[in-house]
Amino acid sequence: MAEKLWNGIFGSGLAGARFGKLGITALLVLGLTVAATPAFALEENVYRQFMGIDSRRLVWFLAQMHLFFGAFVLGVPLFAVIIEVVGNSNKDPKFDNLAYEFTSLLSVAYATTAALGGLLAFALFTLYPTFMGYMAGIFKDVMFLYALLFFGETFALYMYYYGWHWLKGGGLFSKPAQLVFKGLSLIIAACGLAFIMGFIGPDMRVDTRWFMFLLYILPLAVGFWIIRDRKTTHIFIGILLNIFGTAIMQLANSWAGFMMSPTGVDGDGAFVGTVWNAFENILATPIAIHRMLGNLAFGGLVAGAYAAVKFIGAKTAEDKAHYDWMGYISNFVAIAALIPLPFAGYYLGREVYSTSAVMGNNMMGGDFSWTFIIQAMLVGSLFVISNYYLWSGMTRIPGAERYYKFIKYILFALIVSFAIWLTPHNLPLTSLEVGQMAGSQYHPVLKFLGLMPAKNAVVNLIILATFFSFLLYRRGNMLDAVSIRDQGKGAKIAIIVIGGAAIALVAQYAVTMLGMDPAELDLPADRAEYIRMIGYLLVFECAAGVVAIILALMDKGKIGQVIYLAVTAFNVTIFLGVWGFVVMEKASPVLRNVAVAQFMQLISCLILVSVIDAFLFKRAKSLGELKWGKMTVRSQYALLLLTFVITMNMGLMGFIRSGLRGDWHIFGVMRDTSEWAYTPSNFVMTQQVGGAVLLFMIGCAFMFWLGGIASKKSED
Amino acid sequence: MNVTITRVLPFLLIVLGIYLWIGYSITELTGGERKTSAAVDVSPEGGEAIYWGRGRCFTCHSVGGQGSAVRGPNHGQFGEKFPLPMGARAVERAKERSEKEGTEFTAVDYMVESLASPGAYVVNGYKNEMAVVYAPPISLSLKEIKAVVAYLMSLGGELDMAAIDTAPSEQTQAFYSKIAAAAEAGGGDPSAGAIVYEDNCSECHMLSEEGGEVGPVLDGISAKGLKFIAEAILQPAKSLTKGFETYIAINKDGRQTIGLKTRDEGGEIDITKATGDVVTLAKGDIKEIKMDDTKSVMPDDLSEAMTVKDYQDILSFLMLQKPKAAE
Repeated sequence: MAEKLWNGIFGSGLAGARFGKLGITALLVLGLTVAATPAFALEENVYRQFMGIDSRRLVWFLAQMHLFFGAFVLGVPLFAVIIEVVGNSNKDPKFDNLAYEFTSLLSVAYATTAALGGLLAFALFTLYPTFMGYMAGIFKDVMFLYALLFFGETFALYMYYYGWHWLKGGGLFSKPAQLVFKGLSLIIAACGLAFIMGFIGPDMRVDTRWFMFLLYILPLAVGFWIIRDRKTTHIFIGILLNIFGTAIMQLANSWAGFMMSPTGVDGDGAFVGTVWNAFENILATPIAIHRMLGNLAFGGLVAGAYAAVKFIGAKTAEDKAHYDWMGYISNFVAIAALIPLPFAGYYLGREVYSTSAVMGNNMMGGDFSWTFIIQAMLVGSLFVISNYYLWSGMTRIPGAERYYKFIKYILFALIVSFAIWLTPHNLPLTSLEVGQMAGSQYHPVLKFLGLMPAKNAVVNLIILATFFSFLLYRRGNMLDAVSIRDQGKGAKIAIIVIGGAAIALVAQYAVTMLGMDPAELDLPADRAEYIRMIGYLLVFECAAGVVAIILALMDKGKIGQVIYLAVTAFNVTIFLGVWGFVVMEKASPVLRNVAVAQFMQLISCLILVSVIDAFLFKRAKSLGELKWGKMTVRSQYALLLLTFVITMNMGLMGFIRSGLRGDWHIFGVMRDTSEWAYTPSNFVMTQQVGGAVLLFMIGCAFMFWLGGIASKKSED
Repeated sequence: MNVTITRVLPFLLIVLGIYLWIGYSITELTGGERKTSAAVDVSPEGGEAIYWGRGRCFTCHSVGGQGSAVRGPNHGQFGEKFPLPMGARAVERAKERSEKEGTEFTAVDYMVESLASPGAYVVNGYKNEMAVVYAPPISLSLKEIKAVVAYLMSLGGELDMAAIDTAPSEQTQAFYSKIAAAAEAGGGDPSAGAIVYEDNCSECHMLSEEGGEVGPVLDGISAKGLKFIAEAILQPAKSLTKGFETYIAINKDGRQTIGLKTRDEGGEIDITKATGDVVTLAKGDIKEIKMDDTKSVMPDDLSEAMTVKDYQDILSFLMLQKPKAAE
C-alpha cells in the first residue's frame, strides 16, 4: 500500500531526484523571469494578498518552513561525511552504515526544501513585487549563480546517496592517477594560501575571506588529497556536496544581510555599487557563520529525534542498541556545534550593533529584549537537557557509577547559571523601585545578574560544565589513566603540537591586549590598565596551559587537566565576570575584548584538556562494554525535547534577526509601507513559530516514515 | 511507528503549549499587542499610534503602568519620581528651561525641543542617548512628530493644537525647520553626519575655516541643492567645481602626476595630489599637460566606504551648511 502510494506520488527509482529537479527548474525559471526586471529605484511599494491572507505572515511561515528543511538538508551532510570519514579510518562498517542511514533521510527532505523554496519565491514575487523587483535588480547575477549551484548540490547529493554502495570496495587507483589528485590538491592549497593572504580575490572582510578559505578552498584541497580509491572518491563527493550547500546558504544569506545592512545604494535607493559590494555586505558573513553552526546542531538533533522515535518504537534489542547509539552520535555532534554557537551569536550581535546602534539597542534593549529572555530559556534548556541525556547515558556504562557523585554539583552549577542567564535587568517595576533606581535603567537588585558581564560569565560556565559531563561520560568505563610516556613520541608530539596551538590561540590575544592603544577603542590613554589586565590574565592562562602539558608528559595528566580546567573556570567565570562590571563602568568598549578573551580561553581549554584526555585513556583497561540500548525511554524524550527546543529557538532567532529592521524592507533604504509594518508581539511570534514547528515535525515524521519504507524496500 | 507517533505528538503539543503560554504572558507583561497606523493625523490618537507603533517610543519609555521600558523617563504618572503625567510635567520643565536659557519656553516648545534636540535638556539621572527620531531607521515625518507631541501633551496637560500645528511659536518653528531640513536630505542625522564628515571629508575640504585645501570650501554648500551634493559625493567627476579640475602632467621620462594645478608661475607648476602632497614640476621637464574633466581628485569609491546611514547623515549635515547671508 505504502509502496503504491510512494510510486503514485513520486513515480519510482530516482523519484526524489526528479521532484527535486522540478523545484530547481521552477526556481531557475523564476530567476530568469526576474533577472529581466530592472532594479527599481524607490517607487511606491505595491503589496498584494493571496485569498485575503496577511501577506507578511504567509511569507514568514513559508520562509520559516523552507529554513527548517533547508537547515536539516545542509546540516546532515556535514556530519554524515564526518562519520563516513571516521568509519573509513577505523574500518568500522557500523559508522559507514550510520552515515548512510543519515543520508537516506536527506533525499525526501531535499525535495521538500526545494518545493518550499519555490513556493516562498513565488509568494515573495507575487505578494511583494516592488521589493522583490528591487532585490532582483541588484542581485540578479547572484540569483543566477544560486540557481546554478542547485544543480551542483542536486547532482552531488544524489551521487553521494545513490553511489554509496557502488563506490565501495575495489583496489587503490593507479599511482599516476593518485599523483594527479595530489597535484590538484597542492595547486588548490597554494591558491588558498594566496587567497587568505589577500594576493588573489576581490577586497573583502577578513571574516569573509576566512569563511571562504575554511569552508570552500581547504575542504576542496583536502578532498583531492585523500582520493586514492572508490571510497575516498565517495568521501570527496560528500565534501563537494557540503561545499555546494554552504555556497547556496552563503548566497541566500547575502540577501538577508543586505536587507539589514545595505551597501552600494545611494540616498534615493538607486544601486550605485557593484554586485560584490551588495553580496559582501556587513552582516552577510556573521550571519553565515552563525547559521552554519546552527545548521550543524539542528541537523544533528533532528537526526537524533529520528533515532529517538525509532528507539521508542523498537521491538528488538538490536534495534534499540542501534538507535541508542545513533541518538548518542547525533547528540554528540549537536553539542559540538552548540558550544561555539553562543560566541558566533555574540559576534553577530556585535556586528549588528556596529551597523546601527538603533538596531542594536532594539535588539538587546528594545522590542526584542524580552524575546531574548525566551531565547535564553530555550538555549539554557538545550544545555541542561543535553547534560541530562549524557547523565542518562552513563547508566549504560559499566563503571560510570563512580562519577555519579559529581552530577549534583554540575546540576547546581547549570541551574544557577541558567537562572542568571535568563534574568532580565529591568523586570517590570513597582513605582517604589523606579524611585530607588533614580533614573537608572537597571533594577536595584537584579542588575548584577541581568547585565552582559554576568551573562557572559555564566554562558562560559554552562559550556565548561557540559564539557565536564562529557569527560565523565567518556571515561565512564575506563579503569584508570595510562602512561603517556609509554605511548612513544607520537603521543608526546601530538600533545605538544595541539596543546601548543591551543595556548598560542590565547597567547596571540594576550599580545594584542598588552599592546593595544586605548585610542583604538576611542578611550583616553589612562584606561589602558583595563585592557592590560586582560592581557596579564591571558598570560597566566598560557602559563597554566604550559604547566598542564608538562604534567601530562610527566604522566600526571589528570592533575594537569584539573589545573587547566580550574584556572580557566576561575578566569572566565569569576575573574572576567567581575572584571566585566569594572570595565563596563570605566571603559565599556573594552567589554567586547573581555568576551573575546573568555572565548579564547574556553576554546583553548576544551582543546588542550581533550587532547590530554585522548591519550590519557587511550587503550585504558575497560570495566566492560557499553550496553547500547540499555537507556530509559525518558532519555529518548529528552532527545526529542532537544529537537523541539532547538527548532523553536531557530524560529525565534529568525524573528529577531528579521524584525530588527523594524518597518524597513531594506534597512534605511526601502520602507515597508504595508499595513503590516509593525513589529509583532512575542505572542504572535510564538503562534507563528509554534505552528511552523508543529508542521515541520509532522513533515519530519512523514519523511522518516517514507525513509523507513524505502529502506525496507531495499532490504527486501 | 504509529504507536510511537501517538506518544510523541501529545508530548510535542505540550511543549508547544508551554511556548505559547510564555509568549502570551510576556506580551501581556509588556503592554499587549501593538499595531501601526500607516497614516496619522496630527492628533493625540494619531500620536498614540505612533508612540506605541512605528515611532518605537515604547522601546525606552513607558506611560504609567503601560509598558515595561525604563531606559527613558516614564511619560505617565508613576511613583515619587514622576508625580505628574507628561503634559503637566512639560509645563514645569518649560519653566525650568526658560529660567536656564533666559528665553521664553512654552510647554510645547519644551516638548518639541526634546524631540528635535533630545540632548538639549536631559532629565536628571538619565543619559543623553535618545535616538534622533527623524533620522533612519525611525524617520518620523514632521507631521508624525507633531502627532506625538499632541499625544504627550494630552497626558494630563492642556492641549493647544494651534501651538503644535498651525501657529507654532518662533522657537518651535525653528525646530520644525531643522527637522524639515534633515528630512529633505533623506532623513539623516546631522550630528552623526558631522562625525562622518570629520572622518572622510575634512582632510581635503574646508568648513568654518577648518580643514584641508585640496577640495572646494564647503561653507554654504546647501545653496547648491541636494542633488548637486549627492552627485558630488557619489560621482565627483560629474560635478567638478571650477578651479578644481584634474590635471595630468606627463614628464619627458613618462612619469605621470595627477592632481589639482595649484600654482603656475615662472618655469614651474605645482600639482597637489589627492593625498595633499604637492609636487613641483619644471615646465621644461613636462612633455604634456592636459585637463581631464572625466576624473576628480576626490575618491570615487565613497559609496563603498560609507554605509547608507553614513551617506544620509552626511547629506543632512551638509544641507545644514547654509550660506552666511541666509543664516
